[in-house]
Amino acid sequence: MRRMLSRLSAQAWLVGTLFVISSSALLFTNALIAKPKVLFGRSLSPIEPTLFPSIILTLLVLLCTIYLFTNRNRLLESSTSRNYASAFKTIRFFIILVVYAVTMIPFGFLISSAVAMSSIALIAGNRSLVQIFALSIISPITIYLVATRGLAVSLPELSPIEFAYAWILDR
Amino acid sequence: MAMRLDTFALMAIGLFAGMLVGALPGFTTLMAMAILLPISFFLDPIVGIPFLLGIYKGGIFGGSIPAILVSMPGTGAAIATSIDGYKLTQKGQSRKALDIALFSSVIGDTASDVFTILMIFPIALLVMQFGPPELFSVLLLSLVIIVVTAGKNPIKGLIMMFAGLWLAQIGTDPIGGVERFTFGLFDLKSGIPLLPMLIGLFALPEIVYALMRSGEVQSLAKLVGARLTLSEFRRCLPTIRRSTIIGAGIGIIPGLGQVVAAMMGYSAAKNASTHPETFGEGEIEGVAAAEAANNAVNGPTLVPLLTLGIPGDNVTAILLGAFVAQGLRPGPQLFDEQGSTVFAILIAMVIANLMFVIIGYLTIPIFARIVTIKTSLLIPLVILFAFAGAYVFRSDAVDLLMLVGFGAIGLLARAARFEIMPLVMGFILGGPLEYALGQTVAMAGTEPLKFLFTERLGMLFVLLATPVVGGLLWKRMQSVSA
Repeated sequence: MRRMLSRLSAQAWLVGTLFVISSSALLFTNALIAKPKVLFGRSLSPIEPTLFPSIILTLLVLLCTIYLFTNRNRLLESSTSRNYASAFKTIRFFIILVVYAVTMIPFGFLISSAVAMSSIALIAGNRSLVQIFALSIISPITIYLVATRGLAVSLPELSPIEFAYAWILDR
Repeated sequence: MAMRLDTFALMAIGLFAGMLVGALPGFTTLMAMAILLPISFFLDPIVGIPFLLGIYKGGIFGGSIPAILVSMPGTGAAIATSIDGYKLTQKGQSRKALDIALFSSVIGDTASDVFTILMIFPIALLVMQFGPPELFSVLLLSLVIIVVTAGKNPIKGLIMMFAGLWLAQIGTDPIGGVERFTFGLFDLKSGIPLLPMLIGLFALPEIVYALMRSGEVQSLAKLVGARLTLSEFRRCLPTIRRSTIIGAGIGIIPGLGQVVAAMMGYSAAKNASTHPETFGEGEIEGVAAAEAANNAVNGPTLVPLLTLGIPGDNVTAILLGAFVAQGLRPGPQLFDEQGSTVFAILIAMVIANLMFVIIGYLTIPIFARIVTIKTSLLIPLVILFAFAGAYVFRSDAVDLLMLVGFGAIGLLARAARFEIMPLVMGFILGGPLEYALGQTVAMAGTEPLKFLFTERLGMLFVLLATPVVGGLLWKRMQSVSA
């Protein structure tokens, strides 16, 4: 089973996932969609809130089934056609992105950006420490100042850093 | 209104940024627009929208620079340009090739912008007579055209379109105001935000592919040879005129876009030429044909967007995001409520072309060197822009996770060779489609068929669409099975 899963092609993953999600959503439509609002015994909506999603989900389930059935011979791919180095690089890249997204609020924009940028630069093949250091320090600070001072929008930041900036810029 | 100094300045910055990104192999105009889109939210519509249009125009031309110098098209639209453009570089005439690419791009763009201005207002007047049944039919027809034109297999397109329509259902029902598929999560009550979705689906997969190519060594690009002469330019004028007409015609049809226009323009030039054997061997008319056609698409793609709220391609989907964020809802009512703003934006497009030729002429030598810049320096910067842009829109950390999630979906779809366009179109048009359906049902009362057949134009549109769409689908199915 595990070996078969590892051999599934990208289209099998995509359409299979869509099939599972859409059929589950269709099955539990009544639980996932609230009841329509009623005023004096009459529904406020000309069409049921479940009507349009049900049509879409039914057609999606049907199309996924047709696709999976007509392409059943192409759902598995040979291990020789796989590029494991690229796949590993992509997974590492997405892990960095998830960590970046999760840490931006608790650690602030500057710290999380510096860590994420230096990690991505390393993955992209940059081995110059000077370049990585300059890139990961200067560019987040520039973006931070442009966003907070130029566009007057907030970016998440640790309080001590915010205080330090406020102190520097107020002087 | 369009003659504001800040409009000019931001358009110039947009043109420069577009050319810069277009000139970088592996980085596309679409990615640049998705990432720089949030900046436009903090500007007036008359400044922010021309800024994005500048990126669009500059990026399409910028893509021709690596296509000509290193045979590596910066954008899909420049594939046809690389056929003769790179041959000219090999002959030591890269400067001439870039000059004709610039001039034919500007002429194609300007002529199509004028054509857009002339036809958009009569179309808007007609569209303003539309009611919900007509709007429903037109939206449905647009979705079908997009599915048919996106990729070889219509089932793949339909799957993506229905996935997009379903994603549009998440949040609050536009008619009854009840929650759907939110799982009680507060962040999903207002639905999936468009911006993280656009950046995730369009920009992140491009970045991953650029990351994969980051180790590749590029040959040093050189800008050599004489400049374009007036006689050579005159020789190309009939080709530019023909390609402009082709590009403008294609631009108005949702789903086709620059790649199709450039290829058709190139083929038409070759067929019409008295010396077709020189095409593919370094013929400047080949470069002119492709560039005029792909830039002539830019203006007319705005016609379905502004009049009906239907984005014709990925780039106009991003522009739609900018309009919505500015509080301008493209569609018939836009001309009624914000007619002067729309007119100012259209005029700004024409003015942008004048700036385009000046900036392009002066900066070609700079961008020719940028072709070889290290992607390992650019990728982290693009990620930084993407995350900062996705966050500042709503200041919600959940948007960052959505950005990454949609990036993964976009990458998976690209690996599976499924087009993203129908998904985005389904998502954008899902809400208006359901709303129009609800209004139609409410108007029809107890006799829906009588209502549609006798009182409305809606059925006429559906009847008109059936043979057209059926014929297209049949043709597409035949080509798949062949």
